[in-house]
Amino acid sequence: MMLGRYYIDYKSMLPKAVAGALVVLLAVIPVITTNMVTLSIFISSGIWAIAVMGFTLILRTGQFSMGQAAFMAIGGYVSAILTVKLGIPFWPSFLAAGVFSGLIALVIGVIVLGSGGIYFSIITIAFGEIVRIVALNWETVTRGATGILTLPPPPITIRNFEINFATSVVPYYYFMFLLVIMAGLVFWQIDRTRIGGTFRSVAANPMLSEHLGVHLMKYRVIAFTIAGVFTGLAGAYYVSFLSVITPLMFDLWKSIQIMMMSIVGGISSIVGGAIVGAFALYTLGNYLSRLPIFNIQYLLFGAAVVLVVLFLPKGTGLVDLWGKFWHKVFREPDEYEMPEEADMAVE
Amino acid sequence: MSLLELNGITKLFGKLAALQDIDLKVEEGEVLSIVGPNGSGKTTLINIISGYYRPTRGAIFFDGEKVSGLRPDQIASRGIVRTFQSNVLFEGATVLESMIIGSFLQYKTNDWQSILEFKAYKDDHERVVGKVIELLKTYDIFNDIFLPAAGLSHGYQRMLGITMALIANPKVLLLDEPTTGMNHEEAMFVVENIKKISEQGVTVVLIEHNMKVVLNIATRVVVLNFGNKIADGKPEEVMNKQEVIEAYLGTETI
Repeated sequence: MMLGRYYIDYKSMLPKAVAGALVVLLAVIPVITTNMVTLSIFISSGIWAIAVMGFTLILRTGQFSMGQAAFMAIGGYVSAILTVKLGIPFWPSFLAAGVFSGLIALVIGVIVLGSGGIYFSIITIAFGEIVRIVALNWETVTRGATGILTLPPPPITIRNFEINFATSVVPYYYFMFLLVIMAGLVFWQIDRTRIGGTFRSVAANPMLSEHLGVHLMKYRVIAFTIAGVFTGLAGAYYVSFLSVITPLMFDLWKSIQIMMMSIVGGISSIVGGAIVGAFALYTLGNYLSRLPIFNIQYLLFGAAVVLVVLFLPKGTGLVDLWGKFWHKVFREPDEYEMPEEADMAVE
Repeated sequence: MSLLELNGITKLFGKLAALQDIDLKVEEGEVLSIVGPNGSGKTTLINIISGYYRPTRGAIFFDGEKVSGLRPDQIASRGIVRTFQSNVLFEGATVLESMIIGSFLQYKTNDWQSILEFKAYKDDHERVVGKVIELLKTYDIFNDIFLPAAGLSHGYQRMLGITMALIANPKVLLLDEPTTGMNHEEAMFVVENIKKISEQGVTVVLIEHNMKVVLNIATRVVVLNFGNKIADGKPEEVMNKQEVIEAYLGTETI
C-alpha cells in the first residue's frame, strides 16, 4: 500500500487563503447557531478527529492499530478518577490523562512492535478488550458498568467575562477547536518533516530501511506513543463533554470506527483526512441512528463505507476529492523544491 | 589488523550447516569477490555480516570492535552497508525520493531538529540533496530522477540500490550479485561503477557468478562450497585450483 506522498517539500493542496477561511468559518459556528445538537456533532467529530490522526500516524509506519478506542478509555478513566475520586482539578487531570495514556502506549509498543504486522493488530484488539474488561470488573476504582459521572472543567473568569463549561456547550466547542488545531499542528509537522518520511520508509520497506540504518522498532514505538498521548487527551476531553464514562463507550466497534474514519477521510493528508473522515462518519452515524428501523443504521453505515472505499480506493478517501477538484480548477503542477542545477540537468 | 574480520563463523539452520567455521579477513581498500555454486552459503555470509542473521557460533570484528549480535541498523551506522540480490525499493517512490528517504545516515541533525525545522536541519537537508544528486550523477542514473524507481530498467534499478547503499557512507560495501540477470553491456555498466566506488576508497565485498566480472574487478577471490571456504587468493590462482574446478564442474568419475 502506498501510504501517501513521501516527505520532500511540496506545496499543500490547501492554500493558505482557503485554510484560513475554513478556520474562520469553523470559529464562528457557535455564533451562527447555538443549537445543542449541531454543536455537539461538531464537538464530538473534532474529538474523534484527534484520535483518527493518531491512528493515521501509526498507519504511516505500516501498522494497523485496532485498539485506539482503548487509549481514549484510559485517558477518560484517568481524568475521571483524578477529578471525581481524588479531587484533583480538571486541567492537571486532563494533562495527566495524556501522559498516562502515552506511557501505556510506550510500554505496549515496546513489547509488541518488534514483530508488528498482523500480530500487532491482533494484540491491540486484545489490549482493547482487556481495558474494557478491567474497567467493567475493577469496581472499586471504575465503578464497573455504572461508570463514573464526570465533572466539567471549572469556570474560567477573564475580567468580568465568565466562561462556564457547565451551563453551555459553546466553551466546549472552542476548547475542542483549540485542541484540534494544536494536535493538527503537531501531527502535520511530524508528517511533513523527515521523521514522517522515516515512518513511511519503515512501512514501504522495513528490510531496506533497516539495512540503511533505521531502528524499525524505535520509530514504530514513537508513532504509537505520540498517538497514545493525543488519543488519551481526546478521551479525557470527550468524557468530560459527555459527563459520563462507562466501559461500553470505548469498545472494539469504536476502534473500528476510528479506522474507518481514517480510511474514508483519506490518509494522504494526516490532518485533513482525519477531520473530514471523523466529521463525515460521525454525522452520518448520528443521523442514521435516528432512523425508525431497528439496527438499520449499521447496514447503511457499512454501505457508505464500502462505497467510499470502492470509489476512492487505496486510502485516497474524501480529501482526495478536494485535491482532484483543486488540481482540475487551478491546474497547479506538483512543485518540488529542487536545486536549480537539477532542473537544468533534467531538461 | 584487518578492517573486517570473521572468526570461526558457523550458521546452522536446524541441523543444516549453511556456513562452517569460516575465517575471513577483509583488508581495507580491496575488492573481494566471494564465489561458489548455488547453495554454497554466499548470501548467508552477507546476511550474517550485515546483521540480518545472527551467527550460531563465531564473532565478527569491524575496525577492532565486535559487531556480531548487533542489529542491521547499528551495523549499517558503523559503516557496513549491503545491497540485496533482488531489486529492493521503496514502493511508490521516485528515484530522487528513494535516495533522499534512504539518506538516514547521511543526515547529521536529529529528528527534533527536523520536526522543529531548525536552520541547521534545513542546511543539512540541502547538503544531503546536493550529495544525492552528486552521487546520482557520478553513477550515471541522473536522467530519470523524477520517474518512479520501479519504472527503471533492471540494470538501473540495481545501480540505484547500490547508490542508496552509498548514501549511507559505507566503509565496507557488501554487494549481493550486482550483475545478476544482466546482459553484457548492463553488467559492464555496473562493473565500471563498482570500480569507481573502489577508487573512492570504499572496501567492496561482492558475491558474483559472472567470472568475467570477477576477473575484471576482484583483487582477491574466496571460494565457498557447501558452507566451507575451499580457496582464498588472487583471482587467476584460485580459478585454476583443482578443488574450485571440481566444485563448479563436478569430479570426473570415469
